[in-house]
Amino acid sequence: MADQADKREKDRRFQEAALSCLPDVARFALSLTRDEPDADDLVQETYLRAYRSWDTFEPGTECRAWLFTICRNAFYRMHKREERTVQCDDAELESLAAAAVHSSAEHAGFGDVFARADLHEALEQALNELPDQFREAVVLVDVQDHSYEDAATVIGVPIGTVRSRLYRARRLLQERLLTYAKDAGIAPKEGPSGLERNP
Amino acid sequence: MKPMLDCDTVMRQLWAYLDQELTEDRMEAIREHLAVCARCFPQLEFERTFLEQLGKLRREHPNPQTLRTRLVAALAAEGFTAF
Repeated sequence: MADQADKREKDRRFQEAALSCLPDVARFALSLTRDEPDADDLVQETYLRAYRSWDTFEPGTECRAWLFTICRNAFYRMHKREERTVQCDDAELESLAAAAVHSSAEHAGFGDVFARADLHEALEQALNELPDQFREAVVLVDVQDHSYEDAATVIGVPIGTVRSRLYRARRLLQERLLTYAKDAGIAPKEGPSGLERNP
Repeated sequence: MKPMLDCDTVMRQLWAYLDQELTEDRMEAIREHLAVCARCFPQLEFERTFLEQLGKLRREHPNPQTLRTRLVAALAAEGFTAF
């Protein structure tokens, strides 16, 4: 009887804490796999692992972050992707490099290109082409709206590493989008900065 | 009165500012600088619109109820009982 009561209590807590995170986990899985059937498999694998390991979950801690960690690890395992360490420069230097990207965009007449051109598909493609470690930082912080600290917990790295990867990824995305805008024939902005551009 | 931050410092921390990952004091200092700096403000707008575009990549699962039904069935095979 006591065992049955414990089991009921376990299932009740799992449903309350874990299953309520399903929309978030599904969205995250979709961001990782970029394919709906694969995402569904990943979500199922995540929840089965979570249920089997529910005794190891510490009540009071962030269940969503715990599920995201399981999801992320399952993704790498299911897709046999190796986590390669990518060397990153200092995060603040990446910010400065981004300033150079902006300066170059201004010079070419593309300083406001993100506001006036539909770059959704190009951005999605550029994100998909990023190395996994960069992509997951962008997905967690910029797409899923996690803090640096939450992202660090999910990935299992220090906050500084998340920051470096995130800033590098953003800069790479900006460079690719600007290249795309020029190649796609999007007109540069009229005006002084547009007229000053190099041929 | 504290001296105003220089552009280089603001540029270095612009993303952390947009992500609201700085202390309140530093957020305020950068806010004050951006309000009056003609060089840094366009950079702020450039980064802000870029991050807005990235945020639009968020995709909801198209069939959440179907997924939930499938999930609960898989968990039931492990002994889970839904309430």
